[in-house]
Amino acid sequence: MRSLNRFFTISSKDPDDTRRRRILNILIVGIGVVSLIELLISLAPSFRGKQGVGILIIGSAITFLGMLIIYLINIFRSGRVAATIFLLFLTVVFAFSDTPEEVAGGRSLFAFTIPIIMASILLVPWSSFVFSTISSVIISVIAFSINQTPNIPAIIGFFVIALVSWLSARSLEQALKELRDINANLDQQVIERTQALTASLERERIEAGRNQAILNSIADGVIVFDKKWNATLTNPAIKGMLEIPIDLIVNKSFRELIEHPRLASQSRRLLQAMMEHDTQPIGFRINWGEKTLSVSAAQVHDIRGENIGTVTVFRDFTREAEVEKLKSTFVAIVSHELRTPLNAVLGYAEMFKEAVYGPMNDKQVNMADRIMKNTQRLLGLINDLLDQAQMEAGKLTIHISPLKPAELLDALHGLLDKTASDKRIRLTSEIDDDLPETLNGDAARLQQILVNLVTNAIKFTDHGEVRVRFLRTDDAKWGIEVEDTGRGIPESELPFIFDTFRQVEGATTRVHGGFGLGLAIVKQLVNLMSGDVTVESRIDSGTKFSISLPLVVP
Amino acid sequence: MSELALIIEDDEDLANIFAEALRGVDFEVEHIADGKMAEDRLRNGAVPYLILLDMHLPHVAGGDLLTNIIKKEERFNKTTIILTTADARMGEMYHDQADFVLVKPISFVQLRDLTARLLPRR
Repeated sequence: MRSLNRFFTISSKDPDDTRRRRILNILIVGIGVVSLIELLISLAPSFRGKQGVGILIIGSAITFLGMLIIYLINIFRSGRVAATIFLLFLTVVFAFSDTPEEVAGGRSLFAFTIPIIMASILLVPWSSFVFSTISSVIISVIAFSINQTPNIPAIIGFFVIALVSWLSARSLEQALKELRDINANLDQQVIERTQALTASLERERIEAGRNQAILNSIADGVIVFDKKWNATLTNPAIKGMLEIPIDLIVNKSFRELIEHPRLASQSRRLLQAMMEHDTQPIGFRINWGEKTLSVSAAQVHDIRGENIGTVTVFRDFTREAEVEKLKSTFVAIVSHELRTPLNAVLGYAEMFKEAVYGPMNDKQVNMADRIMKNTQRLLGLINDLLDQAQMEAGKLTIHISPLKPAELLDALHGLLDKTASDKRIRLTSEIDDDLPETLNGDAARLQQILVNLVTNAIKFTDHGEVRVRFLRTDDAKWGIEVEDTGRGIPESELPFIFDTFRQVEGATTRVHGGFGLGLAIVKQLVNLMSGDVTVESRIDSGTKFSISLPLVVP
Repeated sequence: MSELALIIEDDEDLANIFAEALRGVDFEVEHIADGKMAEDRLRNGAVPYLILLDMHLPHVAGGDLLTNIIKKEERFNKTTIILTTADARMGEMYHDQADFVLVKPISFVQLRDLTARLLPRR
């Protein structure tokens, strides 16, 4: 079949031309084979010498040769020329295939319709009209030659057939053209889609490669878990961080990982809670062997927002944890070690002032007094630092016991009356009648808060008074107010007043000293007692700190 | 005759100041700077009227001296115990076992006035 096909194959760039030439080839080969068989039969001995055999032999041979020539022209030269010759050949053959009477007006007239119809298929559609004209001319000439009038209905019939052929062939060609256009369009689309897909795959490959490179290069350990908490992807850093073979991580479940004996039991509970509740913690600490790791987790969602897994990031926090611990230990030790020599300075100064080794003149007493005051200031700063360090380490605790507000105020006056009067400021205090005589709280810490706030108030007040008031704020709360008539705090500074290491305007640090820890410690202490502290202030008219505390400490 | 006050304090300056404060109110003062030596002294020496005990001492901690000797042996029943410490939390821990807990910085005047009140009335 394939070799037969090759026999009819035409190489042409025009698909219409190819189609026409292939049809022509089939017809030519068909007629050629028939004429060859006819020739061979005519040459058979049984027909030899019979009448008309000679003409048959010549006719068959001419037909065969004609078909061979047309075939060669069709294959190697022009399909159009071949088709024209073929159709003319047929028309001529039909013109001489019967008696002139039959050809001009009888039964053979219909043979002429074959080339007319074929012309529209083998040549261009309108060529049917050419061949209907040729056929009309031929039958008219033959009619005149035998003294007949041309067969007008037949001629009209030829043109009607030509019209129908023309229309049909034209529609066919149009349909085929449309089909080819659709095909071409489809081909174009396939090409475009293929290119887009290739580009997208390439992008994805680059993206995946880039992601892998990022994963491989970062120092943080990464494990990606699927929806069922099975590890699907890791990076090299995680191996060094957990110090276990990578095959104990990849394709294993999160549960298996947290069963590892190196994980501290407290950390195991934290991680288990993270898995069970699908939380997304940021930077919580776990202990893995000797190491402290910080763990963060984030869920991965698909386009529809469905959870498809979790990315966990482990950071080695060992050094930072050690530094934090060292810092807090360092501050504690330094604070303690500083207190002892300062205590000695303070003690010797007191001894001078008290004239333990003999009488002193006024100037010497005054000097001893100044040594004492400065030493006390230094001790205050150290106490603040120590408190802050303890708070940061979470070591500062509150001891609740019954306390009397009046005793707190007595102690306050004992400590600060002189400081206030030295600045010619009145320090007054009052306790509201509806406040219970005994309250629950940490007396030492409340004293510290009061001293801190009142010292501050005296420090920033140049004239007027500092008022301390204990009051009942509502059924469940009581409060302390410390109000002064001092210079006030700028509004822009109020939001930061309780921040660590902050003083209003840098310059005041040099005038009044201190690290800016006092108010930060006050706030933290009040919060530790489940209370709250607020501040109101107006420039040049004063500041009021209000502390609110629960009557029943939780 | 003056009452005996035993100062157990490793810092020489503080011990000196405390001693002056106590002498100022007429105590007879004995000073020991080391935990181990204090242990021997407490076990073998005369019972003091007052002990000023620092919690932070070399070799044997003040807390151990307090718990293992002073509170165990009946001869110290009448002795007034004043603890000194730089660590307020430490002071709270031993609060019940002492008559007074003084948190450093300890004022010369404060100590002198306190101990003056502790002397037996004559």
